[in-house]
Amino acid sequence: MEIRLIADGEEELCNKFHNRLYNDNRTMHQWRWEFVFNNYDRRPIPYAVVVDNGEIVGTQAFIPIRMIDEDGCYWTAKSEETLVDPDYRGKRLFERMYRLLFNYANEHELAHIWGFTPATRAFERLGFSIPAQTEQIFVPFSNKSIPVMMSKSLHGGKKNLADKLKIAAIRSGCLLAQTASSLKIAYTKRRTIDGLDIRTWHRPDEQTDHLCRRFIRQWGGTTIYRDAEYLQWRLFDNPYVKSVVRALYYRDELLGWVAFTMGDDGMGYLVDLMTAVDDSGYGAEDLIRLLLLEAVIGTRNMGATGIRGWRINNHPFDRLICSVAKGIGFYHIKRGHAVVLYPCQAGAKRGVTGGFDDWFVSRVYTEGVLG
Amino acid sequence: MQPPEVEYIRDQIANHVAEFTTLESGDLFDSGLIRFLPYDEAATIQERAIAVPFDIPIPKSQEEPYKVRFNDTDLTLWNRITPPSDNSWRAIPDGSAPLWYTNRFGSLIPAWNLFGNLFYLLTFGEEKESSQKDLHGRFAASFSPRAKYGLLEIPAFNEAVAALVGACAGLRDSGQPAFNIDGLIGPPVISLSHDCDILRGNDIWTQAVRLVRIFRPLVKMRLPGISNSWWIMRNAVAPRAFYFDNATGMIDLERCFGYRSTFYMLNGRSGRFGARSGLAVIPELLKEIPPEWDIGVHYNYDTFLNDERFSAQMEQLQEVTDSDIVVGRAHYLRFDPEKSFSFLQKHGISIDESSGYSDMIGYRNGIAGCFQVYDTVLKRPLEIWELPMTIMDTTLVRQYGPESITRFSQLLYHLSRVGGALSVSFHPGQFFNPEHKQMLGVYHRMLIECRQTGALAKTARSHVDSIA
Repeated sequence: MEIRLIADGEEELCNKFHNRLYNDNRTMHQWRWEFVFNNYDRRPIPYAVVVDNGEIVGTQAFIPIRMIDEDGCYWTAKSEETLVDPDYRGKRLFERMYRLLFNYANEHELAHIWGFTPATRAFERLGFSIPAQTEQIFVPFSNKSIPVMMSKSLHGGKKNLADKLKIAAIRSGCLLAQTASSLKIAYTKRRTIDGLDIRTWHRPDEQTDHLCRRFIRQWGGTTIYRDAEYLQWRLFDNPYVKSVVRALYYRDELLGWVAFTMGDDGMGYLVDLMTAVDDSGYGAEDLIRLLLLEAVIGTRNMGATGIRGWRINNHPFDRLICSVAKGIGFYHIKRGHAVVLYPCQAGAKRGVTGGFDDWFVSRVYTEGVLG
Repeated sequence: MQPPEVEYIRDQIANHVAEFTTLESGDLFDSGLIRFLPYDEAATIQERAIAVPFDIPIPKSQEEPYKVRFNDTDLTLWNRITPPSDNSWRAIPDGSAPLWYTNRFGSLIPAWNLFGNLFYLLTFGEEKESSQKDLHGRFAASFSPRAKYGLLEIPAFNEAVAALVGACAGLRDSGQPAFNIDGLIGPPVISLSHDCDILRGNDIWTQAVRLVRIFRPLVKMRLPGISNSWWIMRNAVAPRAFYFDNATGMIDLERCFGYRSTFYMLNGRSGRFGARSGLAVIPELLKEIPPEWDIGVHYNYDTFLNDERFSAQMEQLQEVTDSDIVVGRAHYLRFDPEKSFSFLQKHGISIDESSGYSDMIGYRNGIAGCFQVYDTVLKRPLEIWELPMTIMDTTLVRQYGPESITRFSQLLYHLSRVGGALSVSFHPGQFFNPEHKQMLGVYHRMLIECRQTGALAKTARSHVDSIA
């Protein structure tokens, strides 16, 4: 067995391996978008493979993501493509692939490795910490959103009386929640702000870079560096599902944006939300409210069954979004995946490991399939 | 000098090859591999070439079709021709279901009336020979002789071109027609459009129809349709809900897939079959439509072949938009194959999407893609292009019910093997409207299928622009 970085010509084999194990039909275009066409231009790409008799039997990759803090920009890596053939499990292939990638991370000065996973134990064995769980903010538009949130179908299968009562209770609860949300949204709709211009982007505005820097000055901590190049790749060139981006302007100055989309499951997704207030005099709370409302109405008009976004930690902007969201009809649901985080040498040197609460995280961190 | 009909079909094939295959149209014709000949001359050909007979008449009654496996799909052929009488010709792949006849020189003759079928379909032969019309004066799908044999969903033109492409590539490379043309066919194309018949759900006609639906069941001694009163109230309070709002939602949803579409605006005289929402709401919607999307006119019911009313509608619409209106589709698909095209051309329309059926989905002209319209009286092409509408939202669901998406996906897959464009019309009021529960999520699932098949989106206008 050979454990090494991917070689030229193995891309298709890796994708076939993924499709075989997940019973998926990911295209090569989607594979390339994720691992090759991102805005990390260094080669080789951080994609480890286990090869046995010419067959791919394990993969583990990084998607390098640039982040920003008060000291400027730096590279991190999102852990992705963790996959070992069931026939090869128990041979510590995951650890051995990661050893290779830890070296890569140190050589290329990646500050952190992070990811989202329900399978935390393997990561903990490698020294990853579990600093948080993703939680949800959610508005139901119809009771069809409930199975999506619960990751299970309310239809099919034999149901006993208890199941039927449970489903009836869920549906009634959803109807109540939906009505309460609708009323709050309708009330908020009337409280729009004069003087602000809402535009839909066809491509990212070059001011996003400046807004990211202002964001860090205003809210502190660290977050993904969303310059126009990153947003073009992540939101507009995304071959899984692209995002609709509405941006707020005050006299042509970008004050913030919200990105939302609709998943194949019919659910609306709040992908990203950023604001940084400068001289416009508008309060952050008002801008967030406007942007959230754009996402809610936008996804509702797209026929979504509901809209969900992430609530992660105690970063002040995350807390503010959650508080404003609740005010306009969102519910906070404590259900999600674990965050895994590994500080590399470059991260320790930067001194940016002051805790995961420093990170502002949105669904833009999912890099693809989930919108 | 070839007859004008031959020049015409040759041009349509060349355009189609340029748009949907990776070949240059020159690869097909400049090499001299394809020749259109009278049948007697085709029968005597003695060189490596494809001889397409152009003088075989179409039989009066529809002949039973047969299928030939080709490029991981089936080609459906009809109006089979007999091989030349000398015994030097053999059928490929076999005599029971032949695609080609070939001789020892490597010459090929199509085994079905390729030229005749295509010319007949592109020039509306079926309906010109029929006097049947429905209540709105339309030629319904059920009147077509192809309906009996399930041929309405066969893109005969695309299949013929795919076979020609395979034959050319095969003759060039191996001396035998190819049945696998992987790499020669481009991704399938989807042409999305939306007829904006109703943009506000509170107009008198829409509300009156709901009112009738409340009481109509009583006539049959059934319970009244009380739920309609909810829709009456809902749109009385929020007129744009599920109509205008849906149009903006469709634009956003298309953005999520990287697709764009054409919005056909219905203005002019109001009435049950007319413009129900009035003109005032149209400029508001136009503001929401991004410049990359196209805007066209939905010819009002009463403008059918009426110069004065048509001009008035065009003028009114042109007043509220900056873009030139050159694309259109008839409301209720009211359309006369002999008179409508020159009429539309006279009024500045250069691309039309009216050639579709309201009672079934299907390729009315046997083509998935656009073609230049031919005037059979003047024997020349007109300066107007037709992109026949293949699928209308409610028609698909009424016809296929829970299998609608599967059928849509099959049509798209077939086009991914033979090349072509599927034209889909989806009304904003059917996109996401709890009043029409069976339609919920249909458009979204169609777009997911398009993405999975790798389909590209092109509006009717961009088809013609790319050809021009």
